[in-house]
Amino acid sequence: MIWIVFSVMAAAAFLTLAFSGTSRKTSVLSRHESASAIFADQITEVERDQERGIISAGECKAAKAEIERRLRAIDRQADGEPTARPSGRALVLAAALAVPALGAALYWQVGSPGIPSQPFAERAGEQAQAREIADLAAKLKARLELDETGGPTDGWAMLGQTYMRMGRYEDAAGAFARVQDRPEVTSALASQYGEALVYAEDGIVTPKASRVFDRALELDPANPAASFYQALALEQAGAPDAAYDLLQARIESEDGYRPWMDSFAAQMNRIAALVGLPGVDLADLAPAMPGPTAEQAATAEQMSDEDRQAFIRSMVERLAARMQENPGDLDGWMRLGKAYAVLGESNSARDAYSRAKVLADDLPQDDPRRAGIDRALLEL
Amino acid sequence: MIPEIGQFALTLALAVSLVQSVLPLLGTARDNVVWMKSATATSVLLTGLVGLAFGALMWSFVISDFTVLNVASNSHSQKPMLFKVAATWGSHEGSLLLWVLILVIFGLGVSLLARNIPLALKARTLAVQAWICAGFLSFMLFTSNPFERVFPAPLDGNDLNPLLQDIGLALHPPFLYLGYVGFSIVFSFAVAALIEGRVDPAWARWVRPWTLAAWVFLTLGIVLGSWWAYYELGWGGWWFWDPVENVSFMPWLAGTALFHSAIVTEKRDSFKSWTILLAVLTFSLSLLGTFVVRSGLLTSVHAFSVDPERGIYILVLLGIAIGGSLTLFAVRAPEMEGGGLFAPISREAGLLINNLLLATATATVLFGTLYPLLLEAVTGEKISVGPPYYNASFVPIMLVLVMVMAVGPLLSWKRADLRGVLARLKWVAGLSLLAALAVWYLDTGGPVLAVVSIALAVWLLGSVATEWAGRIKLGEVPLAESLRRARNLPRSHYGMVVAHAGLAVCIIGFVGSSAWKSEVVIFAEPGTELEIAGFDVRFEGVEQVRGPNYLSRMATLTVSRNGTFVSTLNPERRAYPVAGSSTTESAIRTTLAGDLYASIQEPAAESEQNRWTLRILYEPLVVWIWIGSGLLALGGVLSLSDRRLRVGAPRKRTGRAPAPVVAE
Repeated sequence: MIWIVFSVMAAAAFLTLAFSGTSRKTSVLSRHESASAIFADQITEVERDQERGIISAGECKAAKAEIERRLRAIDRQADGEPTARPSGRALVLAAALAVPALGAALYWQVGSPGIPSQPFAERAGEQAQAREIADLAAKLKARLELDETGGPTDGWAMLGQTYMRMGRYEDAAGAFARVQDRPEVTSALASQYGEALVYAEDGIVTPKASRVFDRALELDPANPAASFYQALALEQAGAPDAAYDLLQARIESEDGYRPWMDSFAAQMNRIAALVGLPGVDLADLAPAMPGPTAEQAATAEQMSDEDRQAFIRSMVERLAARMQENPGDLDGWMRLGKAYAVLGESNSARDAYSRAKVLADDLPQDDPRRAGIDRALLEL
Repeated sequence: MIPEIGQFALTLALAVSLVQSVLPLLGTARDNVVWMKSATATSVLLTGLVGLAFGALMWSFVISDFTVLNVASNSHSQKPMLFKVAATWGSHEGSLLLWVLILVIFGLGVSLLARNIPLALKARTLAVQAWICAGFLSFMLFTSNPFERVFPAPLDGNDLNPLLQDIGLALHPPFLYLGYVGFSIVFSFAVAALIEGRVDPAWARWVRPWTLAAWVFLTLGIVLGSWWAYYELGWGGWWFWDPVENVSFMPWLAGTALFHSAIVTEKRDSFKSWTILLAVLTFSLSLLGTFVVRSGLLTSVHAFSVDPERGIYILVLLGIAIGGSLTLFAVRAPEMEGGGLFAPISREAGLLINNLLLATATATVLFGTLYPLLLEAVTGEKISVGPPYYNASFVPIMLVLVMVMAVGPLLSWKRADLRGVLARLKWVAGLSLLAALAVWYLDTGGPVLAVVSIALAVWLLGSVATEWAGRIKLGEVPLAESLRRARNLPRSHYGMVVAHAGLAVCIIGFVGSSAWKSEVVIFAEPGTELEIAGFDVRFEGVEQVRGPNYLSRMATLTVSRNGTFVSTLNPERRAYPVAGSSTTESAIRTTLAGDLYASIQEPAAESEQNRWTLRILYEPLVVWIWIGSGLLALGGVLSLSDRRLRVGAPRKRTGRAPAPVVAE
């Protein structure tokens, strides 16, 4: 439907322009004709003014003399007047064709033909759903508040997350705040609380929010959300360079690409543009893991369970072979260990992690990979 | 689908405007009629396309289609319908679309309505008009797309800034833009004349009505803005010399100079270069106004440099438009043929002084507006240039202007008899001296400026009356004859009389409301009484009232004088929960003698729930400003409605030259 309308618009634009200038009325107003017409009008006016007694006969005569003098001046300048030559149609047609072409090309850049209109009146379903969610949130809150034990932590977390999705950030912060002093609070729950506080303050990391993020990092130093907001706090405190460095250090502390890194890199680039630091390319900071390509993954999807196990195994074996050739690659050993763990081959996994641990001894004490390896070895 | 139709219409419009920028000019260079005539078709097409886009945006606002980002950020489903419609141009993107819509409508006017214009001049004018159009359309599409979509759509919008949800401000931008953009036609005509290297009689014929139409709209736009600031901001001030106001005032001053200069070009075939220069400058100042307001430069120079994309784009456009046209002027103006000669004392000379004074006044405002911005950009120091600067620079220039403008209309074309004119104005001079003495007697310690200004206002009013009485020979011929003459006077003449008198009325309002204003600000609780300018005001209390998208706390004030009840005032504070802000709705009792003005503010602290900050002002004569500005605009309309062409008839020299007679 929309394409039909667009075609009609484009065709109308083309036709209007293509047939311009083809009217039979080829009269062309030249400079001399225009001036004579205006001066003739003026003389009529002057005469009428005299009849109405606004100007005297002498004034009328003087004015007429003046107009005639001007007309003679125009005549003296008479030069090449445009002549009616119906040539040059080709250029007009070309221009008429260029209009829809250029219009469509621009539209291709800026338009979003796939998005439908949504008049407010037709969105009753969504409004009802929003009301329903609001009702459910209200009920959940009432139940949690009535609970004599203070309500389960999971319940408050869910309430907070619901409020966040509804855009009621202050309510969300209130819900998360209820459970922050409990022993079972996790780093994620703390940083969600901090995030709600930031949203409620229109994106400002207040000192209170900053303390909450500190707590989240105490609970888990690897919590990326907490690091992100700590960097934002540094930037807002007037230290964009420090914010930039913190974001960069956090990305580099990982052994490869993680989905949260996109927002980190975007933030770094924004700060970089503001204070004139070099921009970053995530591919340089965190090389993507040599995982299965899209094609391989698609193939894996269509396989039976057995085939898939075999497919994964073949990939792991290739990685293992590569590691024999290049035994100094710490990140490679960690990936191999993880892959064996997924396949359930604990012994091979332990071997791989042990090789990694030897290499990791050279790393600084606070490198998160050391903790990662120790944790993996413990679990195996 | 509707927003996308608008989007496609805009991209097509940009393509069409590019064609119109080039093809007609090629036609004039190659003497090709078909190419020149294509400008008419493209201007119709442009108007259709931009109109379609504007309609699509307005439709999206009316049905609250929140998939359009612009609607989601500037509207709300609960907002009254009038303000949904007005929100179309309430945002940055929408106001640009309105700007371009008005631009193409004016272009259409030139291509369809203006008869007797030589084809070449018309083709060039429409091409120049298309350059401006292409500049703004590309600015819109690349940096401020009004049809930016968001999906999934938010469930409801963010609401329009409640300060803008007001009838005065809903109408303010369209009028202002009709003014700004109206000057674009005169600009295009001027640039076309410069390209051509000569001024056609048709040019001189059309420049005055277009200028005047734009000027009337600009006057109304500025007055609406000023009136809005007066009743909505809760201060009782009507002009703050704020950069936003100044940038609309400068094109007004330059435009005033322009149509006075255009009178000379039309009637006397003179002042051609000067008129062209003023046309270029007036529109350049309009562009500057759009730039300063739309780039975010005013919020702070720093904010501008953080998000410079839009600002840089307009700055480049501005550089091309102003730099290009002034360069063209510098190259071409010396080639323009001069016009008729005139003596140092003549109507022409009077209008020349008018132009020089207005240009100087514009320059002082320009300096006061841009200097703080430049200083902040260079040194980072923030200063504000306020009333003291303008009272010392702008106001004296305007006072001289008023003094001269009283005399100007009495002078005849080409050569005039100043002594005779001054002799006719003797009684007016006496009257204004009396007025000055009266003011001084009533307010001896008051500002000198007030005394001088009132005297000058009386001087202007008196001379306008003298001039009119002289035209109809009041007292010299029988009354019936005078009435006949009054009926026969051209409407354009009445336009001048009304507009000049309007300025005098405005001056009285300016002086009254700034020099003799009284103000009381107190913490009030129910039962508080105060006295101002002879009125007794009693604060009765505050109650809650619910509006369509706001909550109001409405105060009741009882006003009495000498124990007799005068009226009740209900100032409000309105809280808009969705937009998260509040507005002041002042209550005003207006009479010719002065306005009693009341506004309230929230309790100062939580602990003082019942105590309100109550501001009461008495502003004498403030309504004269609105009446006077109305007369200014009415004068413009009267003059515009006079479709007659005009020729200045030099008065025959009778007998000897008048000047030496008395000297001997």
